Amino acid sequence: MAGTVAKKCLSPLALLTRRLSAPEFITQCCYHKKVVDHYENPRNVGTLDKNSKNVGTGLVGAPACGDVMKLQIEVDDHGKIVDARFKTFGCGSAIASSSLATEWVKGKSVDEALLIKNTDIAKELCLPPVKLHCSMLAEDAIKAALADYRLKQKDDQQEAARASI
Amino acid sequence: MLSYNSLRIVCPFRALLHPNWLMTNRQTVNTTVTCSAHFVSTSFPKKDTWQRKCNLKSTGNESKLIYSTYTASSTRNYCTGKFKLNCWNCKQPLYETPAFFCMACKAVQPPEEGTSFFNIMDCDYKFSLDTQKLQKRYLHLQRSLHPDNFSQKSVKEQEYSESYSALVNKAYQTLLKPLSRGLYMLELKGMRIEEGTDSGADPEFLIELMEINEALDEAKTPEEASKIGQHTKGKLAVLTEEIDAALLKGQLQSAKALLAQMKYFANIEEKVKEKLSEFM
Repeated sequence: MAGTVAKKCLSPLALLTRRLSAPEFITQCCYHKKVVDHYENPRNVGTLDKNSKNVGTGLVGAPACGDVMKLQIEVDDHGKIVDARFKTFGCGSAIASSSLATEWVKGKSVDEALLIKNTDIAKELCLPPVKLHCSMLAEDAIKAALADYRLKQKDDQQEAARASI
Repeated sequence: MLSYNSLRIVCPFRALLHPNWLMTNRQTVNTTVTCSAHFVSTSFPKKDTWQRKCNLKSTGNESKLIYSTYTASSTRNYCTGKFKLNCWNCKQPLYETPAFFCMACKAVQPPEEGTSFFNIMDCDYKFSLDTQKLQKRYLHLQRSLHPDNFSQKSVKEQEYSESYSALVNKAYQTLLKPLSRGLYMLELKGMRIEEGTDSGADPEFLIELMEINEALDEAKTPEEASKIGQHTKGKLAVLTEEIDAALLKGQLQSAKALLAQMKYFANIEEKVKEKLSEFM
C-alpha cells in the first residue's frame, strides 16, 4: 500500500536521495514516516451524525489536485470539542493532514481550535513544499466545521428565543 | 537591417524614366537589362517595405545625373515566426515553424522556445481535437526524431533530438487527454487552477463527490465498482462537451470551473480502476 502511495508522489526530496534502488528508500524519500504512519494507521476515520446540533461538518475540496475532505467535530455544552472524525479522498499527505487535525482538535475549545494553522500541521508532518496545500486543506476543513457548528448554535438560539416569546 | 545591394544594371534610357520597371519584386533583382547607366541602390528595409534610394548615374553621352527615389514594396519571404531562424549547421534559413530538420542540410534542429503544443503536433487550436490525427502525427514525428536514430551522429545532434523527442512526448501526453488539454488551453491564456481550497465550490457538488467516493470505497463486488465507473464516465462525457462549448465561446472562467469538476471525476475514474484491479 505504501508502495502505491509512493509511486504517485512528486516529492522534491526524491532529488536529494543518493540511493534509489531499494524500495524502502523510495518510500522514505517520498513520504515522511509520520505521513506513512497516519496513512497506514489513520486516527478517527468515520462519520458523526451531521443532523445533531452538537456536530459541525466541514466539507472542502481542492480543485487543483481533486482531493475531497470531510471533517466533523462534536462539541459538548461547555464549548469543548469532545470528538472528531474525518474522511478524506486524496493523496497520503491530505489523509495524514486531516488525521492529525482530528487528533489536535480533540480536547480544545472552539476558539482554541480556530488557532490551528496549516504551517503547524505541515511542520509536524514534515510536508515538502509541493504538499503544503494539503495542510491548508486540513486547516480550511477545521474552520468550515467550526463555522457550521457556530451557525447551528446561532439557529438554535434564535429558535429558542422565538419559542420563548 | 541595412543591406547594400550594389548592382550593375544596364537598361535602356527610357527605363530610367520609369523606375517601376526596375526592381519592384525581389525575384527580379538578379535580372540584368542592358542599360547605359550605372545603378546603385541602397536598400533600407523598414518592416515589409523597402525604401530604395536609387542613385542613377548616367554614363556615356548623357552627362546628366539622374536621381530617382522611390519606394518599392516587396514581399519578404518569412514564416509565421517573428524572426527567421537559421540552421545551426549550414546557416541556411529555416522556413518552417516549428522546424524539426533543416531543409538544406537535413540536420536536426533544437526546439524553439515558446512553440505551443498545438503547433508542434500540427493540430487545430481547439478543445475537440482529432485524437487519431494526433496519434498519427506523434508516431510520424518520433520515427524521425527519436534519439535512437542519432546514435551515430554528433553529440550536438544527439542532444537536440533528445530534447525535441521529449518535447513531442510532453505535447502528445498533454493534448491526448481532455483534462490536461483543457488545462493547457487555459494556461496559454494565462489562467490556471490555483492550489488550495476552492472557497466558491458548490456544497451540493462536494456532498455528491463524497457520496460517490464513499460508495466506491465500500463496493464489495466488481459490478458495483463498474457501475460507479460507468456513472463517472457519463459525467466526464457531459463535462467534455460543456468545456468545449465554453472554450469556443471564450468563457474562460466557466471552462476553469468545469475543468475543476472534471479533475474530481478523473480522480474517481482512477480509483475505480484501482478498485477493479484489487478485485482481480
